Amino acid sequence: MSTNPNPATPTNSDETIVKKKLGVGFWLCVAWLGLMAFIALFTPLLPLKSPTQNFLDTTNGRPPYSPSWKHWFGTDKDARDVFARTLHGARISLAVGFAAISAGFLVGGTVGLISGYFKGWIDRVSSFVFIVLLSFPSLVLAILLTSLIERSLLTISLVLGLLSIAPVGRLARAATLQFADREFVLAARQIGATNRRIIIKEILPNVAIPMSSLALLGMAVAVVAEGGLSFLGLSVEKGITWGGLIQLGSESSKTLEEAPWIAFFPILMLFLTVLSLNFAGDRVRNYFDVKETTL
Amino acid sequence: MRYYVQRVALAILLLLAVSMLTFGALNVLGDPLFNILGPVAGDVNNPESVEMINAAKREFNLDRSLPVRYGLWVSDFVQGDFGVTFSSTGQPPVSGVISERLPRTISLVVLAQLFAILVSIPWALITASRAGKVSDRISTINAFFLVAMPNFAIAVILKFVFSIKLGWMPLTYTADDPLSSRLFQMVLPALTIGLPVAAVYQRLLRTDLITTLQQDFILLARTKGLSKWRILFVHALRPSLFSFITVVGLNTGALIGGSIVSETVFRIPGIGSTLVESVLRNDFPVVLAIVMIVASSFVIINLLVDFAYTLIDPRVRR
Amino acid sequence: MNPLDIVRSEAEPLVETVEIKTHFKTPRGIARAVDGVSIQIRRGQSLGVVGESGSGKTVLSRSIMGLLPRNGVIREGSVRYQGQEIGNRTPKEMRSVWGREMAMIFQDPMTSLNPVMKVGKQITESLRLHLGMSASEAMTIAEKLFRDVRIPEPTRRLNQYPHELSGGMRQRVMIAIAMACGPNMLFADEPTTALDVTVQAQILELISEQKRDRNMSLLLVTHNLGVVAGYTDEIAVMYGGKVVEKAPTKTLFADTKMPYTEALLRSIPRLDQPSHSRLATIPGRPPDIVHPPKGCRFAPRCAYVRDLCLNEEPELQQASTPDHTFRCFYPVGSPEYLERKVELTRKGELVSTGDLS
Repeated sequence: MSTNPNPATPTNSDETIVKKKLGVGFWLCVAWLGLMAFIALFTPLLPLKSPTQNFLDTTNGRPPYSPSWKHWFGTDKDARDVFARTLHGARISLAVGFAAISAGFLVGGTVGLISGYFKGWIDRVSSFVFIVLLSFPSLVLAILLTSLIERSLLTISLVLGLLSIAPVGRLARAATLQFADREFVLAARQIGATNRRIIIKEILPNVAIPMSSLALLGMAVAVVAEGGLSFLGLSVEKGITWGGLIQLGSESSKTLEEAPWIAFFPILMLFLTVLSLNFAGDRVRNYFDVKETTL
Repeated sequence: MRYYVQRVALAILLLLAVSMLTFGALNVLGDPLFNILGPVAGDVNNPESVEMINAAKREFNLDRSLPVRYGLWVSDFVQGDFGVTFSSTGQPPVSGVISERLPRTISLVVLAQLFAILVSIPWALITASRAGKVSDRISTINAFFLVAMPNFAIAVILKFVFSIKLGWMPLTYTADDPLSSRLFQMVLPALTIGLPVAAVYQRLLRTDLITTLQQDFILLARTKGLSKWRILFVHALRPSLFSFITVVGLNTGALIGGSIVSETVFRIPGIGSTLVESVLRNDFPVVLAIVMIVASSFVIINLLVDFAYTLIDPRVRR
Repeated sequence: MNPLDIVRSEAEPLVETVEIKTHFKTPRGIARAVDGVSIQIRRGQSLGVVGESGSGKTVLSRSIMGLLPRNGVIREGSVRYQGQEIGNRTPKEMRSVWGREMAMIFQDPMTSLNPVMKVGKQITESLRLHLGMSASEAMTIAEKLFRDVRIPEPTRRLNQYPHELSGGMRQRVMIAIAMACGPNMLFADEPTTALDVTVQAQILELISEQKRDRNMSLLLVTHNLGVVAGYTDEIAVMYGGKVVEKAPTKTLFADTKMPYTEALLRSIPRLDQPSHSRLATIPGRPPDIVHPPKGCRFAPRCAYVRDLCLNEEPELQQASTPDHTFRCFYPVGSPEYLERKVELTRKGELVSTGDLS
């Protein structure tokens, strides 16, 4: 809240800077994400039931079985344990999300930095490429590309990474442009620093700040994109993914009506993860924004 | 004037680039011959198969080089000839398939936008006038939640709640039903894609409204004795709409993408669900045509939004 | 109405404040923007409120009109309009007063007019709301108002947007908007500060004329003493949220009592000063309204300060006439004042500028 409640009143008191904290919510999100990362990495080692085994229990009638002590999230039509499957689903969904945004950052970030720094024809060409990539609604391009290739963890990640190059690149470029003309850069150049050195030591640290919030937000988008692809059946072949699980749980109205837990637990996990990424990314942006606006 | 010409030229260039990318991807990464003939395409030892292969090559110009094929395709495309679909018997023209299904997608997207606009404007007005208070904070949290839910998850949830549990909404879309019931059947699908964007619109408009409300002319409006709602609606809204309108326009493309999921879940035969089906069937003339249509509309809409902006703000008008 | 009533209503102040205080809650503490101000304005009278930035003059006018935000504002004291208490009314209740009985014009007409609404509509809005006119009736009146404020080609101008008008014309539009419903009281908050010097006089003349023609009361807020000199009946000088001197205009200039007022007067550049004479300024900065100094608020910057000033706050006292009040222990003309003046003149720190009348 501003210190001057009546904007038209002149005041003498200095504008006090509201202390920015990341907040409790932020750390909760980080905790959840940490949990998810742990799950994604260590699932095979955990004492879970097998995600593919059929736990047919004739005493209980026909599957799908509703959630119980034996099956925390219930089972699906083939009596597979939903809890185990959901946790396994985290692996691909998060791995793809992470790999995609990393690739996107690496390529997009570099291209953006270079275009913003050197400007000239490099900038014009890369900007044009960005615009072309952005002319497709992202899901459409993703569908187009994934339909043509062998769908493995690597290739899907690369496709989604390709999609994130344009937004990341644009931000990196804009941020770089902001800093490239600042005095400290000119000063560095005066004393003979090479361009490479300037980019790495002067510009990169400053650009990294707005980019860090984009990393979290971008990963959220990648996870959702992978979810969409796997929902449509276009993600990693034969992999267990959240999107795929949701699709299986909702493909027939009957299934959805009788055994909503099959779809809803994966939905819950996906939602909480995306929410955490969004919220954390937003908090990080707010935290760093103060410096940006007062500069 | 020069500005308009420049932008149109850029748009055309863009479309060419997009089409090249798409065409290239399909022909280079995919195997058109395989798509047409199936496993037969690899069967080079069987003279009958070879016969079919050559026939297909001639038919679809596959023996010409890629740039030539591209050129032929472009000239066909701009005349409205999108080729024929491979998969169905009788090979019906793609343009037929598209003209039948496109209107459904368009209605879906329009419905979704209408809904999003009609919801987000009052929502933004209310939260802007109560900025900082409890109701505003709750609304922000809600908006956050909405944005964190992927399209398909919302679709599944809506379907579950309204069609299955409550039975209020019909489960499927029937192409032969009268217009009114078809529109009704589109409500849930439209909500699926409209709700998250409504949250985005609301957030943006709210921010702009709050900025506008701090301006001096709002204070002057108060000194004239105008009521709170009149000030909000008549004075504050219009100057705050610029970013809103831009985002609404630009978002149309994203909505088209969202319709893919919505149509699949609710089984609406529009171009979104057709795209998915065709992709899974490797029916690439259809894929190519749909991707081009979607990308073209994207580019054209962006262009129109750009132009519209100059018309809306009287200060920018020259 | 019988003649006695008329006389009485003329004598009773139209607007009156009694020790009003307006404090804002800020992260640093409570900002005492207006800290105990009592003024009266009678029908048809004009009061100039003068002071530096941060003296509280703008907050004062907003407080009287009731335009302050609800949150984070503490109000004390009473504000009366036509004898009735309005200080504790809600904005909803005040809406019938705003526009109709009281109007305000602001400093910057570019930001004070709605940029995407035609100026004609901005006037007819008030007319239709308060006076229930139809669209065409309101347009006719709007045109007349434009003529009253001397906007050339009024019919054409009515359909234009603010950015199509010059600064002076925009201010005239603001005046027209304010006059639309014939208010009894006009608050003018630095109406000429954002205008060219040549236009400033025209606008002030216009305001003056409107005031005369409509028998309207005027509260003119400004930091520029030159502005108030010709256009007000009475002047109140504010410093640090308090009125430090109040007198009829001529008296204030002729018989200045408070050293701050004197310093203000001295700092006005004058045509008849010899060329290259140094401009007199008041050293130091305005007081911190969150932690105001103990004692007289002007003391830290006053050339005539003594120990008492730093420790105790002076009360309002009368000068030679009852309508002239001021706050100072050692006012202009007192023995202590003269003693110090001699010292400073000898040291060369005081430039004699001669007769100020």
